[in-house]
Order: sequence, then structure tokens, then C-alpha cells
Amino acid sequence: MSQTQNGSMERRIAEILIQELKLENVTPDTFDVTTDLVKELGIDSMDLTTVVLVLQGEYKVKFDEDSYPSLTTVRAIAAQVKQLQGAAG
Amino acid sequence: MDLVVHAPVTAKLSPAAAPGGWSFSDIIKSPDIAARFAKVRGYFFLRESTYDMTRRCNIRCHGCYYYEGDKQNARDVVDPEAWRALMRAEKERGITFVVLAGAEPALVPELLEVCYREIPLGAIATNGLVRIPPSVGYRIHISVWGNDATSQRTRQAKRMLGRQMENYANDARAVFVYTFTRENVAESRAVVQELASKGCRVTFSVFSATTGYSGPLSHTPASLLQTRQTMLDLLREFPEQVVFSPYSAAVHTDENSLHLLFSCSYPRQNPGQFGLGRSFRQYRSDLTWVREAACCVPDTDCADCRHYAAGSAIVTARMNRHISSPEQFRAWLDYVDTYLAVWVPGYAKGDNLCATPVSPSLAMGQGKGDGRAAGTAR
Repeated sequence: MSQTQNGSMERRIAEILIQELKLENVTPDTFDVTTDLVKELGIDSMDLTTVVLVLQGEYKVKFDEDSYPSLTTVRAIAAQVKQLQGAAG
Repeated sequence: MDLVVHAPVTAKLSPAAAPGGWSFSDIIKSPDIAARFAKVRGYFFLRESTYDMTRRCNIRCHGCYYYEGDKQNARDVVDPEAWRALMRAEKERGITFVVLAGAEPALVPELLEVCYREIPLGAIATNGLVRIPPSVGYRIHISVWGNDATSQRTRQAKRMLGRQMENYANDARAVFVYTFTRENVAESRAVVQELASKGCRVTFSVFSATTGYSGPLSHTPASLLQTRQTMLDLLREFPEQVVFSPYSAAVHTDENSLHLLFSCSYPRQNPGQFGLGRSFRQYRSDLTWVREAACCVPDTDCADCRHYAAGSAIVTARMNRHISSPEQFRAWLDYVDTYLAVWVPGYAKGDNLCATPVSPSLAMGQGKGDGRAAGTAR
């Protein structure tokens, strides 16, 4: 996957986060993909689970429950999606 | 409250639908699901911890979780300012919901007041024999373990139900929690009828043995099945007073404990720093806590845990395991709607969306492997 594709996926994930969590004062273009979602944005585990469920439908992948704690940033989520897509072949 | 169960339901579980390629986005397109999800999602901000307020109690119950393990030896902190400082620190670290319990919190009303003023969302678990002042606006859960004869035998308290109702009938804070033991299933209808006749709201729990307990209150597979059918019958018969759902009945009377079904998310079984593993603490009456012991009902045998308080967190946290079909997600929404109505002051329960007791077995297999593989507590 190219850097552009990575950026596109990160942007889309940021868009889903903003939409699902009703984040204000931020757009997909201004979202810092390295922001810690739990520590800096205060997103709780149920909200993160909701986002994961939406992403599973969007990207046709299945996140392992044990991976949830590692989904701390948009960048980390995108990397996980990419890895799952690669594993699915 | 307007609970509707459309038809008589039996204890036989509907098989959870086989995975049918449903995505979460597809499931929440159903208007009833979307509306209920939006409603319960407004409460995802709740972050819970629990607090033993005192080691004192005015009765001694068989199978009591409090007088098991080390916590009963904690020295009581009775200084309201120490409690105020704790509550402020808890608020600072993100706690938004407190559960005040053991041994008997009604014996320290001044401490309950302090907690309420600092963190106004919460619930108190009490035996109901001492009325908590109306100025403490938490939900109040009054424990009922059978009729008066049974309570006399297992709790050494006379005329317990009458005294509980004198204190809490017509109290908007109160929810009576009927704990089904192996011995009291048959008498539950008369007790619920009496409570309902006074307008009291009732929910259900299932006796969960403390570590090493082998007494007559423990359930058998047969008594669990009998309990499930009784819960469903009472839900149908007293829809205005019984705050419960068919899925709640299925989950709490399954042969497998909550931990075996869903892998418990409290720190005692969840060493990670995610969800409850990160935020939950269980304070003893000396204001200390121990991560290795921290769960909502400490010293319960995890292999036998079917406690209503445990389910409120464990089942709720496993939303991701309930998206194999719209019906299974409806069942989960009913569970969460029930939990919120029982625990959160002012939350009004809606109609149950899933009228049949869907089996939790599919949800069990949707996590990392099978919950059974997680083994028991020790």
C-alpha cells in the first residue's frame, strides 16, 4: 500500500471517528493521526468498540478483541486494518 | 415504564442466529435498533468504581460476600473529609459513577451524603432495614432473598420484607433486587406480587457463591433452568414493576458463569489497561484497594458468578460479540437498557425489543476463542 493510500485510509478513519464520536473543532484534514485517542481525547472503551464495529463493516476485516487496547491512534488503527487486509489476502 | 413482552415465552432458548454476514452498519439501519442504540449510547460516559463504606452490618446473611476474604478486616475511615478527598480524586481520574456497598452503607449516612455531593451519579446496595435520607439521590438497591420465613433463616432478620417496604415503597430511588437461590425460586412469585402491590420496582440477581462456599444456596443446572422460567413468567406477569429482559434471564441463568461466557472485564480477571481494567477500583472501608482483588463483588467465585452487578459491566462491555444478527443486537440493547434503568437515577426503561431469550452461546464464541478457555478465577 502506498503512502498516499495510507494517508487516504487514515483520513477516512479520522472521518469515521469524528462522525461517530461527534468530535467538534476538528476535520479529517486537521485530525492529528498520532493523537492518543484514550489519553488525549478521553475516548472510552465503548466508543472505541463502536468505531471498531463500523470499521469492520467498512473494510471487511475482523479485529481481534485483544487488539483493542493497541488501537490508540488513527495511525495505529490504519496499520491494523492494513495488516488484517493483508492477512486476508 | 412500559415493558412489553409479546407472547408467553419459555425457558427454552432461541438459538442465536448463525452469523449471516451482518455488519454493524447494516444492523443499526433498523429504526428501532438505531433509536435504542442512540439512547443507551448517551450513557457510555459512565465510568464506575465501587466503595465499601463500613465494615459494620446490622444483620448476618449466609453467603454474604462482604464477610469473606480480607476486606472485612479493614479499618473503617469515618472522617467525612477523607471521603470527600477520595471522591474528588476519583472524579479527577475520570470516575463518573459510584457504587456504595458493604457491609451496610445505610449505617454511615453522613458519608453517603459526602459522596453524593461530589459524584452525583451512583447506586447504593443496602439490606433496606435502615432508611437512607432522601437527600442522598442515588439509586438504592434493596436486597431481597426470599419471603420472611426464608429471610429469618438465611439472614437472621425478622419481618424483613415488610420493614424494607415500609422504608422504600413509593421511593423513586428504590429498586428491589430479588436474588434467586436454589431454595427460594418457588416463593419468588408471592414476594414479587407483594412488592408489585405496593408499586415497588423489582429486578433479579442470581446467587453467586463466594470462594469455597458449598452451602444450600448454590444453584444446580436444574435450579438455574427453573429460575430462568420463573424470571420470564414474572416479567410477563408484572410488566410495570419488573425491570428485566428475556436476554437478561438467559445470560444470568446459563450453565456457564458470566466470566466463562464473556471473559470478565474487571481488573481481577483483566490485567490490561483497557476499559474497566484501566479505570475500575474497588475500595475497602479503609480507602485502600488491591488490583488483584478488584471486581464489583469481591471474593465471589468467578466460575459461579451470575451476579446482576457483574453482568451490568461484563455483558455491556461485550457489545462487539452481539452483532451477528439484528435480533442478537436487540437482545444486547435490552440488556443495556435494563442495566441503565436499574442503576442510573432518572433513566426510564423502554420496551424490550427482543421478546425471546436468545442464547448467549454465539456471543461467547465471538471473542478471542471461547470464554471457556479463559478458565476459572484461580
